[in-house]
Formats: sequence, structure tokens, C-alpha cells
Amino acid sequence: MTAALADHPAPGAPISMSQPRSPWRESWQRLCQKRLTRCCLAIVGLYMIAAGAAFTPLMDTAITRVAGESYQMPSLAQPALWLGTDILGRSVFWRLLYGARVALTLAVLSSVVSIAVGTTLGVLAGYVGGWVDNVVIWLFSTVNSVPWILLAMTLAYALKGEPILGLEISPLAVVVMSLGLTSWVGLCRLIRAEVMKLRDLEYVTAAKACGVGPMRILTRHLLPNVFHLVIITFSLMAVDFVQAEVALAFLGLGISDRPSWGRMIDDAKSELLRGVWWQLAGATFAIFLLCLALNLLGDALRDALDPRLRERN
Amino acid sequence: MWSYLVRRILWTIPITLSVVLFTFTMFTLVASDPARSYAGKMATDADLVAIRHRMGIDKPVWLNIRHARLTGSVAAAFDSQFFDTLLFRFPESMRYQESVWSLMKSKAPVSFSIQFPVFVIELGMQIIASLWCARHRGRMGDLAVTFLCVLGMSVPALSIYMVAQWLLAVKWQLFPIAGWDSGLAAVHFMAMPILVSVICRMGAGTRFYRTVVLEEMGADYVRTAKSKGVGTSGIYLTHVMRNVMIPILTRTVTALPTLFLGALFLERLFQIPGVGSLLVESIFNNDRPVVMVVTYAMSVSYCMALLLTDICYTIADPRVRLR
Repeated sequence: MTAALADHPAPGAPISMSQPRSPWRESWQRLCQKRLTRCCLAIVGLYMIAAGAAFTPLMDTAITRVAGESYQMPSLAQPALWLGTDILGRSVFWRLLYGARVALTLAVLSSVVSIAVGTTLGVLAGYVGGWVDNVVIWLFSTVNSVPWILLAMTLAYALKGEPILGLEISPLAVVVMSLGLTSWVGLCRLIRAEVMKLRDLEYVTAAKACGVGPMRILTRHLLPNVFHLVIITFSLMAVDFVQAEVALAFLGLGISDRPSWGRMIDDAKSELLRGVWWQLAGATFAIFLLCLALNLLGDALRDALDPRLRERN
Repeated sequence: MWSYLVRRILWTIPITLSVVLFTFTMFTLVASDPARSYAGKMATDADLVAIRHRMGIDKPVWLNIRHARLTGSVAAAFDSQFFDTLLFRFPESMRYQESVWSLMKSKAPVSFSIQFPVFVIELGMQIIASLWCARHRGRMGDLAVTFLCVLGMSVPALSIYMVAQWLLAVKWQLFPIAGWDSGLAAVHFMAMPILVSVICRMGAGTRFYRTVVLEEMGADYVRTAKSKGVGTSGIYLTHVMRNVMIPILTRTVTALPTLFLGALFLERLFQIPGVGSLLVESIFNNDRPVVMVVTYAMSVSYCMALLLTDICYTIADPRVRLR
């Protein structure tokens, strides 16, 4: 008993009383060090505010109300005309703001689907190994063997407008499913490789020796140690989702029941020849700024969260 | 190596099978009556029956036991939708009334003639740009190129295509707006799509290769080469280049099958009659056989490309042994 206690500091010994800082907090502080990263965080925050504002019922009327003539030029007269009007005279500016809501909802929900599938399969394959690992490899090879856009397209096409098991699914849910279920491979591979490395480390062996069950090891010991990968992937995945929505909209498989950036760009196909540039410019800029911020944020997150990269620099 | 190759080829069988199964399930069980959506609202019942027969969806889904009993042969039981798909017995395209394979044969070269130049130019420029960035690491030029790459990655490709089409073809009239011609005359129409897609795809690749090259620059062999007096260009072009071949191969060889698929939006927007625009059109027209065939063809060729990647590894890096 005394031998075991000897390793611990004696009750009277001076130990630092300050609370040790949690690694998450440390990472957050590291993240906020650079001005560029703070800017990116602010931009993403602004988009979130815009998206939140678009959830109010006021916006539902603003996007359908006729604000002026068809294809009215942008003017500073009133907010509704800041970006001109579309073919039906509806305000492009309000529709753009509404698009932020659609894009962010889409990105978050698709990521949730994708991360849930990717993390679960990755952790299981990496930790359990054996036939589970083989099944997961087979699954992601299958998904990977068809080009991403083709797969998402097939899913969106197959799910479009069909009640599944008697359940009517909304166009947004179709897009979320088709993007989420086709994009988990990269994360799954990353996490599988990382878990395979971690499961042989001493702290996992120690936990096993203490009699900790496999579920608890997975959720309490392994998952927190691969979670930084999830966060980094999330910010980069969101970029892909916002861009993929444009692609699906162009193929007529997008969100058909509400304005989205993809649909606005798709509409602009014919408008540009008539000199109507504001719808395209607005939607493109909105996507550009969000994706730029998320891209840079993804890099910053990698620097802040990945300990190996930290040591190298 | 041979046993490895055989194992890999065997491994592609379950993968291709599962892709077939997955696509089949998606199209057959989830999507509603494709004949109805193809025929439109005005179709009579007789039309629908005829269309179903042409699409091959009047057959049972898994096994045709009734047919087997009638004809008395066991083989007839496999005359079902699933086995048609599995054995690549596809019905002909609904819209073109032509077998899907011959359709692909006429469309694939068109896609390839756009995508191949794009692929070569893009790869060359990306590698040159990334080597240049690595050489000038941390200086203004490197920062500017890296930043431009991120900018390019953030703009939706579709917007770039549209603006380029409007600016280059409509406003300045440097190129024809869209279209295609047979034979060598197509060069005229190819220029703008090639240019625009190279611009669009520069960003991601350059950034990726830059990271790869920078990682290699810290390696011991680079220091050794420097100390024995190898010049900068010698280090970059022979020592480093040889070692970054593996990530380059990983990225490029698997992209080879997509050269035949073409770019969906590019071909659609510039009206290039390639596989990409055929696919988009087939989706719009509910031309199910075409969509299925393209999906399978892509998955099989992707598996082949993976195999090819492994073989290329051994050529690029003699240390790699396939076991």
C-alpha cells in the first residue's frame, strides 16, 4: 500500500494548484491566435446569423413577395433591391439570405449523416479488426469505386419524389441523404487507420487490464482521441457539400421547393446572355466567401488540433 | 507479385458485385415505375406495357421461376432483371433506340479528347507550380500562389464555366459559345472547355503536391544530396521528384477512368456530345439503362485503375514489393 502511494506526491508537497488546461481549450486558444483565422470564424458566424434569421416566418413571405419588376437592376433604394430582382420580380437579396439557411442546414445535416456513418464504421473496423474490418473495407471500396458525383446523383435520382416505406421525404432530405451517404469514405479510412494505431498503445492496454469493457474503451478512450479528425474533416466536408448542392441543382436533382444558391446559379445559365448578372454574382459570392472561410478554417483547425503537425512546426 | 495481382483481381469481384447489387437495388426497388416516368402522364396502358417490355422491367426481379417451369430448363430461371444486370445484358437506350455499348463507343472518344489534354496540362502545371512554391517556400510568390489556389477551390466550378463562356465567347468572341464538330474541326470547339477546366482544377492539385513536396524536402536524402553538391534543380527534378511519384500516382491513376466519363457540367454547358452530357440527358429523360451502364462501367474501371496504381508503385519505387 505504501509502495503504491509513494509514487504520488505527499500531502504536504508543493503541487501546482492551478487547474490544468484542457487540450480542447488549449487548441481553441491556438486557433484564435492568428488574425486570419479569427476573420474566418467571424465570417462563418455571420453566415450562421444569416441562416438563423432566415428561419423566421418573416423571411418566408420576403422570398415570395414581388419586390419590383422582372429583372430589375440592383439599386440601393431598399434592402430588397440591393441585388435586384429575379424573373418573377422577387428580391434576389432575400433569396440569397434564405439560401444561407438552406446551405448551412444542408451542410450540417449531411455532415451529421456522413460523420455518424464514417466514425462508427471506422472505429469498429479499426478496433475490432478481423471480419468486421473486412466488411468495412469492402463497403468503402464499393462506395469509392463509383465516382462521387455519380453516386450522389444516382441516390438523388432514385430517392427523388418517391415515398419510401410510405414516408414522404422532402427534397432537402433527399439531397442530405445522397450527399451524406456518399461522402463518409475519407473520414472512415482516416479514423480506421488512427484507431488501429491507438488500440495497441499502453493506455488502452492499461484500461483493458483494469477490466474496462470494449464499449467503454471505444467511447471513452478511443473516440475522444480521434475526434479532432472529425472536426477537421467537418469543416472541409462542408465546403464540398455547399459546392455539391450547386452540382445537383444543375442536374435538376437539387432542392426543388425552396430557393438555394445552387438553383440561383442554375437559373443564371440563361440570364447571363441577357445581361442579368446579379443573381449569379450574388450566389457565387455567397458560396465563395463561405467556402473560402471554411477552407482556411480547415487548415487552421488542422494546425491547432493535430499534435503531430504541431511538433513539426 | 503474381499472387498479389491474382488476389487483387479476385478482390474486385465482390466489389463490382456489390456495386451491381447496390445500383440495382437503388433503381429497381426504391425508384418508382420508371416506365411511368419515362412515358409521361398521357401514356395509355398499352404504351406502358410496351415500354416496360423494352426496359426489361416486365421480368421478375430476382428469379424467373415461372419461365423456367414453362420452358422446362433451369437456365430460364435466370432470365430476370437482376441476372440481366449481373450478366451485363442491358436493354437498349430508351431515347436513342441503340445499344448502350455502341452509344458509349461513339461518346467516349469525345469526352476523352477533352479530358485527356486537360489531364496532361493540368498535371504538368500543378507539378511545376508546386515545385516552384516549395522552392520559394514562405516568400511572397509562394503565399500568392497558395492563396490563389484556395480562392480557386472556393468558387463553384459552374460559376467559373458560366462566366468564362459569357466573357470569352459572348463578350470578346474569342471562341465559339458552344458546340461540337466531327474530326479535326472539333479543335476549334475544344479550346475553351479545356482552358476553363484547367483553370478550375489547378487549385486543389497544386496545394496537395506542394504539401507533398515540402514534406519530402525535410528528408535526410535531400540534405545528403545538398552536401554532396547536387544543384537545386537536380535535387528537385531527380531526387525529390522520384520520391513524390507515389502520391502523384495515387492521385492520378485512379482519375484515368473519369477521363472517359468526362465532366458532366462542362459537357452540358458547352454542348459537347460526350458521355457526361449523355448521362445528364439520360437522367433528365429517365433513360434508366444508360445510367446503370455508365455506373457499372465506372466502377469496374475504377477497380482496374486501383490495380494499375499498385503496379505503377513498383515501377516508381523499387522498394515497394507487392505481396
